[in-house]
Amino acid sequence: MRNAKPEMRVIFIIILILFFAFLIAPLLVLFFRSFVTDDGGAGFSNYMEALSNNTLISAIGNSIKVSGATAIITTMLAFTLAYAVNFTRIYQPLKSAVKVGILIPMLIPTITYGFAIMYTFGNQGLLTKLFGRNLFEIYGFNGLLIGYVIYTLPAAFLLIHNSFKYIDKKFIIVSKLMGDRTLRSFLNTVVRPLLGALGGAFVLSFILSFTDFGIPASVGGTYDVVATQLYQAMLGSIPDFSQGAVIAVMMLFPAVAGVILLNYLERFNFHYDKFSETELTPSKFRDSFFGVTSAVVLLAMLSVFVVMFIAPFVTAFPYDLSFTWQHITGIFQSNDLVSVYRNSLIVAVLTAVLGTIITYGSALLNARTPIKGKQTVDIFSMITNTVPGMVLGLSYLLLFNDSSLKGTFIIIVLCNIMHYFTTPYLMAKNALTKMNPDWETSGELLGDNWIKTVYRVILPNSVSTVLEMFSYYFINAMVTISGVIFLVSAQTTVVASKINELQHFAKFNEIFVLSVLIFLTNLLVRAVCDALQKRAAIYKK
Amino acid sequence: MLELQNISKQFDQKVVLENIDLKINSGEIVSLLGPSGSGKTTLLNIILGLTRIDQGKVIFNNEDLSNVDMKNRGFNIVFQDYALFPHLNAYENIVYGLRNKKDTASAEEVREYIEFLELKPHLKKRIGELSGGQKQRVALARTLVTKPKLLLLDEPLSALDGVIKESIKERIKSIAKEFNLTTIIVTHDPEEALTISDKILIINQGNISQFGTPFEIINQPKNDFVKEFILRQLQIKRQNIYNLFGEKYA
Repeated sequence: MRNAKPEMRVIFIIILILFFAFLIAPLLVLFFRSFVTDDGGAGFSNYMEALSNNTLISAIGNSIKVSGATAIITTMLAFTLAYAVNFTRIYQPLKSAVKVGILIPMLIPTITYGFAIMYTFGNQGLLTKLFGRNLFEIYGFNGLLIGYVIYTLPAAFLLIHNSFKYIDKKFIIVSKLMGDRTLRSFLNTVVRPLLGALGGAFVLSFILSFTDFGIPASVGGTYDVVATQLYQAMLGSIPDFSQGAVIAVMMLFPAVAGVILLNYLERFNFHYDKFSETELTPSKFRDSFFGVTSAVVLLAMLSVFVVMFIAPFVTAFPYDLSFTWQHITGIFQSNDLVSVYRNSLIVAVLTAVLGTIITYGSALLNARTPIKGKQTVDIFSMITNTVPGMVLGLSYLLLFNDSSLKGTFIIIVLCNIMHYFTTPYLMAKNALTKMNPDWETSGELLGDNWIKTVYRVILPNSVSTVLEMFSYYFINAMVTISGVIFLVSAQTTVVASKINELQHFAKFNEIFVLSVLIFLTNLLVRAVCDALQKRAAIYKK
Repeated sequence: MLELQNISKQFDQKVVLENIDLKINSGEIVSLLGPSGSGKTTLLNIILGLTRIDQGKVIFNNEDLSNVDMKNRGFNIVFQDYALFPHLNAYENIVYGLRNKKDTASAEEVREYIEFLELKPHLKKRIGELSGGQKQRVALARTLVTKPKLLLLDEPLSALDGVIKESIKERIKSIAKEFNLTTIIVTHDPEEALTISDKILIINQGNISQFGTPFEIINQPKNDFVKEFILRQLQIKRQNIYNLFGEKYA
């Protein structure tokens, strides 16, 4: 294609405006705000104040400690599970159970994890009752660690699991034939090719834990971390916007460093063009070891959530375990909670629809048009990948606080779209790049204009990806709290932020019922998208 | 008649084509032959209207098309990998263009094209279920239905094997004859070029090395490039075949 068409330019301009207004401008405002001093001048006084604040310094230390511990544990567990799924001959249904079960936490807001942990390991918790004593103190480091590991395990697993597919299993056979011992063979043919992915899983887990708000909001106790400090600064008893801006900028630093590190680690990844299917050698010891380990990890993870499905159905957990519908009907009779759930649905549907359109359009311009400056979309994608949800939400608060966008659904939706832009964008870009580059020319020669070819050819051939993007946006919009905590108003409260309020009134039944609702809704959307994808897959090949 | 006048093209300072000057008569099959990087595909794209020229003119039936959009030139192409739409079946691919211009071909004509290309048994098949040769014929049908004034084929035989190759070759010749359709083929294979075309344009490093009939190329090679790279290959092939069958079959 030799020239950009006018319709491409129009779409490109719309996308540029969106990104400048809702990504670049808010971040710039945040950045400048952190330098505005109390007397209205500019300087480093906010930073000096932050650095002399002992609570904040210790919170940063705590965040680094607990995120680091999380990253180590998550990476090891994720590797073990991915190894069990890819390189052992364990019982096939167990493999499927691991692959599906590990993703369940993604369907639940992180803030719920904290309450599930309390009800499992707390003084009156399920496991505490079973063991007859407190296993450990859950408020603070231990609770955070458990929550973060559960939260980061799915993402880390997916990353390592995908890289396993690129390992050429023939290497293992060659290594064996060359006479390598088990350890040497393992290091050379499994660990070395996965080095990039393992490092990536570590960095990813660290960043996710460092920037999450939901888990410390529920189970953090008096153990301060950066996310709770940021929340305190902005929405505590004495809001201090300048301090908030400084903490947000400080939260951005490890995220930026992490993304740079991730890009660097990318170099260690192997890329094979061909996937070869090679039979694995049988090994009783290996299979039973990994079979048992992965079953235990999976069960332990899921057992934390069991309480979420029990507590709302009994009269007074854990004292009176008689079955009742009372709590469930109570929720549906409460206009307040029903409207919160409706708000969540509105936000998720709008995010998914508009987000998919914007990301698909961006990817289309980048991957399949000759338009000048299309690389800027890649830069936007890198920025959205870097900026934590809390930081983005805070920057929106600073920029749009006096505008008519304040307290609307649309600001929450836009924040979600920007926050989660990277993954669906890369999905679309990847799918569009793989398509035949001559389709647009063929369409044009057959009398189509560009939009028509997109509608008649490009879109039908990427239905599966579009559904994937849609469900990714929907599910994340349903569960996110860090992105929207600063943006919700009394009228636009969503479930995840409502849970944060409910905990102050100790309304745990409501919390669990709302969480179950989110979970079931996400499950439904995922199932519908899967079913539609299967139908679309018939066209493929 | 297609006339190329003094065509030149540069990409980022690098000269890809220089002073290409030639005339192609109606109904002729002409091959653009050259090694990879010689500029033959660029020339094809220039004729198609996909690539803009820096200098020179493209004239078709005395009309200057140099600044006419690809869409309005009335030419059409079959790409090397066919660019068929995989979500549609063979028939839907063939009639794709008719949705835009209903009056280009009548139902009767479409049926004739399908029969001519022997595609009737495959119409309901998905693109993924077709063999290479069948895909090629579907792509030809999709293009012919738009009744192009000029047919361009980009490496039409390179993805096909053995016997299929020969049958598609015959098919292309019969299309040109049947519809009196000027056909331009890009290829890097001398044997292919010399056995399918009325005339061959040999391109080397962006320049015309020789333009002539197969007979002229074989008997009066104009320069060392034609001798070394075109004829030498054929001679080796001929020798191999002789060795297999014995000289008496020569």
